[in-house]
Amino acid sequence: MEKTVKTNNKNKTVGLIALLAAVIITIALFGFSCVSGLVPIGWSGGVESDGFMWVGSLEGRLVRINLADSSVLKTPDKLEYPQQTGLFGCSAASSCGGGASRVPVYATPAVSGNLCYIAGYNGKIYAYNTTDLATRWIYPWDRYLEAFVGGIVIGDNKLYVGCSDGYVYALDTVTGTEVGKYQTDDKIWGTPTLADNILYIGSFDKKLYALNADDLTLKWTFLTEGSIFSKPLVENGTVYIGSFDRNLYALNVADGTLKWKFMAGNWFWAQPVIVDGTIYAGCLDGFVYILDAATGAEVASPIPLNSALASTPVIYGNYIIFAAHDGFVYKIDRDTLEPVLIASFESSIDGPLALYEGIIYLQTNDAVLQRIDPETGALLPPIILVTQ
Amino acid sequence: MNVWELIIQQPLTNVLIVVAHFFGDNFGIAIILLTLLVNLAMLPLTLSQIRSSRRMQDLQPKLAEIQKKYGKDRQKLAQEQMKIYKESGIKPAGCLLPMIIQMPVWFALYQSIMLALAAVPEGLLNLARFLYPWPVVFSALPLNPYFLGMNLAQPNFILAILVGASMWVQQKMSATPSDDPRSAASSQMMTWMMPLLFAFLALSFPSGLSLYWVASSLFRIILQYRVTGWGTLRRRPSTDKAGKKYVTFESEDSKKPKAKPKDDVIITDKESLEKSRKKPSRFAKFFEGRDDDEQNEE
Repeated sequence: MEKTVKTNNKNKTVGLIALLAAVIITIALFGFSCVSGLVPIGWSGGVESDGFMWVGSLEGRLVRINLADSSVLKTPDKLEYPQQTGLFGCSAASSCGGGASRVPVYATPAVSGNLCYIAGYNGKIYAYNTTDLATRWIYPWDRYLEAFVGGIVIGDNKLYVGCSDGYVYALDTVTGTEVGKYQTDDKIWGTPTLADNILYIGSFDKKLYALNADDLTLKWTFLTEGSIFSKPLVENGTVYIGSFDRNLYALNVADGTLKWKFMAGNWFWAQPVIVDGTIYAGCLDGFVYILDAATGAEVASPIPLNSALASTPVIYGNYIIFAAHDGFVYKIDRDTLEPVLIASFESSIDGPLALYEGIIYLQTNDAVLQRIDPETGALLPPIILVTQ
Repeated sequence: MNVWELIIQQPLTNVLIVVAHFFGDNFGIAIILLTLLVNLAMLPLTLSQIRSSRRMQDLQPKLAEIQKKYGKDRQKLAQEQMKIYKESGIKPAGCLLPMIIQMPVWFALYQSIMLALAAVPEGLLNLARFLYPWPVVFSALPLNPYFLGMNLAQPNFILAILVGASMWVQQKMSATPSDDPRSAASSQMMTWMMPLLFAFLALSFPSGLSLYWVASSLFRIILQYRVTGWGTLRRRPSTDKAGKKYVTFESEDSKKPKAKPKDDVIITDKESLEKSRKKPSRFAKFFEGRDDDEQNEE
């Protein structure tokens, strides 16, 4: 009798422990699912080269799509994290709550010669042969830097990229050896722009840097009142840059002096585009601002697209194509300034758009490469970028 | 943006960012301060919860007695229990209700911390839609995640240990001493399981969340100490007649003489009314380190 009571008590205790554990873990996981934006997903855009579209997949692979027959080739190995910290095999850097160890890719790949480069969120730069996607080199090969979020630019056999450790790195494109670096005062998540041998890059230290591309020495800096994420746009002796202080700045490329600034309702996250002296700048407040590139004056009322505009737009004929975070893609006629919805997706869009031979390419955050004919809004068959 | 985000999450997140900005872009201090502020705002509820728990603890011997007496007759047992609750002026839901009301606030605070941390690019993008159009908010972002050399966006071992330790102390202080071995076992289990689980969770999640847990636990420890003393944290071993060693728990309350039940007082004349108004408030008593029981002793 006594033994039975003891066994019952023991079972009850075990049951209580299990119940308690389940409740706590459920609350924790439920909590994480309720706060979106805790898991790094990635938003790599596509880049075309020699009839191939190159894109970083959300599972941490470089993917090559033959645009003639839509055949897909992926790198055999996924990018990897150095080690998994945390109890459940995850850490804040490696997707807490998501439970996955995949390495997201935010940077759009860059192609030069017979190599394609990709920067991983795991803190490594990879160079692959364009023919068979075999790894040519990895930088750094023996350790991991902090996460790469910004993209790569290439010029004069050098590859430039900003890192979360605050450094701008210059690597030899052929060997991957470091040929220079420049330290900013905070992390860099933005993509640099190379124009006339000057490298422009924004940092979270609120400064835009203009560096000599040859040796990464400082030419000038411009201090804004907010961190800088967006990729600078250089046109006609002016560099345009959006800051987290909600301003779009126009600066002289020669000395970084301010020409004008324009304030919106939220951050200018994506790079704007310029056509015929007019700037079309998407903002996270969901509006497209249309400004005179010379003066910064508004030339028309902002166009509401009702969702954050984080994707870099593209110019297609007389249209500017914008993709909104909520998965809607619009074309804006430059004459009428009327937005026309051309496609909508269930998944969000945060990565840059690419245009090749009249087709828009974009990666939705369900790891699918969508193809849209902007003329008619017709969707071509989507290409799944992850291994199923 | 849904109602929850608009009314709770957005204001809390913006306040967190502003506080961080005014404390030298120190997110750690902002987390601690906001946790304390929210705790202070909910002080009446927390105090009510602690007091209700304590009264429930005080009733344990009586409840155990009637359990023994009417254990087999469930209906009679329930009636007697209700009678005791009624006589003592206790509502059994009194412990739970404040806790349930507080839960959404804790959840919102946790969400705001995670949101403001913006540890990954999507987080920063998501945060943008929660921001008020205040220049200070926009220019303060992204927040500096470093606090005392720790990256609050990453798990931290030391903070995980502190989470476990502070939660253990809090659990131990508020544990109900019981002669019933089953109750004692489940109380013991709670004392260990909760801190262990939260410490393990802290090892997996951004340590900003751990800092919030530690700050909350420390606040509750101080509060618990002011209201009930060290509770079951202080214990002394004793030996019974048969020579077996037991550990008996001695709370601060057990040392105090039992509180007299309060009479319902109806003030009918002006003089008494003025006298009663001159008495310090319940909060004043709490901050002076006096509690109801001590008042009764007076």
